Amino acid sequence: MTDLVRAEMIEPILTTGASARIDADVAPQFAVGDAVIARNLNPHTHTRLPRYVRGKRGTVERDHGVFLFPDTHAVGQGGKPQHVYSVRFEASELWGPDGTQGDALFIDMWDDYLEPA
Amino acid sequence: MAGQGHDHGDGHDHGHGHDHTEPPSDEALRVKALESLLVDKGLLDPAAVDAVIDQYETKIGPRNGARVVARAWADPDFKRRLLENASEAMKEVGVSGLQGEDMVVLENTARVHNLVVCTLCSCYPWPVLGLPPNWYKSAPYRSRVVRDPRGVLDEFGTKLGDGVEVRVWDSNAEIRYLVLPERPAGTEDMDEAALAELVTRDSMIGVAMALSPE
Amino acid sequence: MNGIHDLGGMEGFGPIVREENEPVFHAEWEGRIMGMTLATLAQGFYNIDEIRQETERMDPVEYLTSDYYTHWLHTAEELMIQKGIITRAELEAKRAELAQAEASQS
Repeated sequence: MTDLVRAEMIEPILTTGASARIDADVAPQFAVGDAVIARNLNPHTHTRLPRYVRGKRGTVERDHGVFLFPDTHAVGQGGKPQHVYSVRFEASELWGPDGTQGDALFIDMWDDYLEPA
Repeated sequence: MAGQGHDHGDGHDHGHGHDHTEPPSDEALRVKALESLLVDKGLLDPAAVDAVIDQYETKIGPRNGARVVARAWADPDFKRRLLENASEAMKEVGVSGLQGEDMVVLENTARVHNLVVCTLCSCYPWPVLGLPPNWYKSAPYRSRVVRDPRGVLDEFGTKLGDGVEVRVWDSNAEIRYLVLPERPAGTEDMDEAALAELVTRDSMIGVAMALSPE
Repeated sequence: MNGIHDLGGMEGFGPIVREENEPVFHAEWEGRIMGMTLATLAQGFYNIDEIRQETERMDPVEYLTSDYYTHWLHTAEELMIQKGIITRAELEAKRAELAQAEASQS
């Protein structure tokens, strides 16, 4: 625990923030353009992998860099730094014939959420 | 189907928050108890809480985002920097901070329309838009916008041109997204301050277009 | 966890209800719990992922029928108790004391 946060410290805290980005030399598991599948994970604890993308196939569009991993960070198992990617899923992949052809959903996926397609 | 009061996300009687003839709500009492306990233990400076409220009520709000968008419309070099590295470019306009440390700006064009949600909680780019409105945090928006974005846009009265690709961005990680709405027609002679007046909060979430000049 | 918070793709929650000229906070307590949570987060009481996880553990009916800042309140109370910063007994005693004070004033 750190010292008491005083009123005069609030503005600097709010305007600086606290990035979850980690300056760590971690190799990416995927590259932009890779076809990937969101893993079918169902932990009892915290995850930022929503049900609607699990098992679906998408494409890595951008590598955001290395970030803390919430699934371990939430349960006292450390930050497990890894790459986070913007992954594009076609609406038709997520919703079948009820998705509009050509529309897409973009979501941020940690390395541990993905496997090669 | 859930009724409106269910989903509104605020079950309060507006304006009654300071009416001392009403008994305090259960939440008000619980919050007061928690704060009082922490202050007694020397674990909280109540003036720090006042300072947070003041920041989000008077300083950090969608006017910040509007300044970023207006600058991008007026200055192509700034727009290029903004699309390449939004967090760094925003600092040029004096905008940065908590829940916006790692920003990405999404450009709406005649061919692509972007809109933003957080399906798992209510993540939102605070430094540029302030705290989110209740509808953004509500179950109806969070559930439906990924499955039926065109239906949601229609509900907001937002009409897309033919052949426009819709992209929904679920901000489930620590990246925060700001939509750069299309610059409205008829604004060629307007300066940045006037342009900023056309940039609404909803246009920067992507559920609406920027306003047209009168 | 496969909780109620994971709403993406569901239907049946009704129309999206918007409020014109919506205030930042709808009641004083909303700002207090928000400010308290941010101050204690900055003091290292917990991290953001613990906060989100605790909100996800709310009773699903309560999650859907309560407001956003009620989620924050629930989460702050439960995490501070779990972390040993306060006890449930202390919190309940303080609530009773404040309720009694309010009742005697009116």
